[in-house]
Amino acid sequence: MASSCHNVEVPVPGKPTETGTALLETATGTIQGFAPLGQIHQHLCAFHFYADDMGRQVEAHHFCAHLNEDVRQCLVFDGPGADARLIGVEYIVSEKVFLTLPDAEKPLWHTHEFEVKGGVLFMPGVPGAVERRDLEKVCKTYGKTIHFWQVDRGDALPLGLPQIMMALTREGQLRQDMADCVEEKFGVSFQKERENRAYMSGPEHGIHPLANAAGKGLKTQIREVDIPASTTAGAERVFT
Amino acid sequence: MASSDEKPLPTPASAAGAGGAASPGQPTTVASKVLDMGAAVMQSLRPVKQAKQHVCTFALYAHDPKRQVETHHYVSRLNQDFLQGAVYDSDAADARLIGVEYIVSRKIFDSLPAEEQRLWHSHAHEIKSGLWTSPRVPGLLEKPELDHLATTFGKFWCTWQVDRGDRLPLGAPALMVSPQADPAAAVRPALVRKRDDRYGFSTEELRAARADVEVPAEEHPGQADYWLRHRKGFAVDVVPHDMKRHAPFP
Repeated sequence: MASSCHNVEVPVPGKPTETGTALLETATGTIQGFAPLGQIHQHLCAFHFYADDMGRQVEAHHFCAHLNEDVRQCLVFDGPGADARLIGVEYIVSEKVFLTLPDAEKPLWHTHEFEVKGGVLFMPGVPGAVERRDLEKVCKTYGKTIHFWQVDRGDALPLGLPQIMMALTREGQLRQDMADCVEEKFGVSFQKERENRAYMSGPEHGIHPLANAAGKGLKTQIREVDIPASTTAGAERVFT
Repeated sequence: MASSDEKPLPTPASAAGAGGAASPGQPTTVASKVLDMGAAVMQSLRPVKQAKQHVCTFALYAHDPKRQVETHHYVSRLNQDFLQGAVYDSDAADARLIGVEYIVSRKIFDSLPAEEQRLWHSHAHEIKSGLWTSPRVPGLLEKPELDHLATTFGKFWCTWQVDRGDRLPLGAPALMVSPQADPAAAVRPALVRKRDDRYGFSTEELRAARADVEVPAEEHPGQADYWLRHRKGFAVDVVPHDMKRHAPFP
């Protein structure tokens, strides 16, 4: 499988899977149910960057399912192959749903209009004419992306705090090396798609001023909080 | 701007708004389903197909362990020492994606710096007590794997606090911790019973069957399960901060 476009490939530490384990998982994979994953029907490739550092960009492979017409939930991997690392999640909502979010929440969400119209968000393996029918909807949506594994800085493991991610909102943000790498890897032309998508439009009410971190930046931090001493649960037997 | 231990304002997106537990929005249209099906035929979706285990267990919020949720992990193995799982709030097709958990061997856990270890929890108790279950998998089949999993450590970030009624994923991501023998880390019997009734098994019976699962000598090595020792949990805040940028934004 072609390596990812965001630099250094650091292998995940650990021994190769043992035969016994693999056999067991073949069995469980057949016996058990995986209904929530069965809803995932779409693979989208796009770019995310860290909400406190536009220069740190990640090639993000989204595997998305509809919860309903207005809400999607996606698993974000760092590649399209079997060995891809699960690096985060993204939720995608229609404009209508976005507008119901509290104002304090809106900055954590980003718009998709530019990356869709710019041609840089695409569905690998799907012809333009087909992908455009869905992407014209995605164009009007807002997304909330959280990453847990900073593969772009060579982390071999998912270290540290979750990171709020942002998406491209205008020309000049996407690193040329990332763009070239992805175009070549997937045999796509962003420019060509940009022309094909010129007819698309973004949110009806325009890009909300609070979205996209309200134009500022965001970062996460962790804080210790007191945990009360064990409280008795009344007459209920405590199950340990 | 947002904190994992802060209640969201009443809006249609949170519990106090328009009634019903379901996410706001119209039912998925036929047109969308057709598009989805078409795409699914053309795309391999390989990373998603790597999930080979479904684990149903319970988790507690690191900032408030009295808040507990039943969790469904769909787990993929990257190698003998590392697993990654998408976590949902049920095993049904309409389950909500509530987070991600990573699972590592003791060896990998030991290699983590102390500050990182604080974010990880042990699995021995959860497994031995029968709280961690593999629906549909016969006991004999799962046994060898349980011995191994009982020595692993997890890091679980929750992105959707469904138990407080959020109809959308609001706020900062929250760290989760695992059930433990300590009374402060016990799972409410009613939650367990509800799960057991649905699957037709008994956590107590599972616990008896797992009597010979070896509990590691050191159940909480290094900084694992930090909150038990220090009675301090962790909350995550999202705060405004300068964004390094090489182009105007947004």
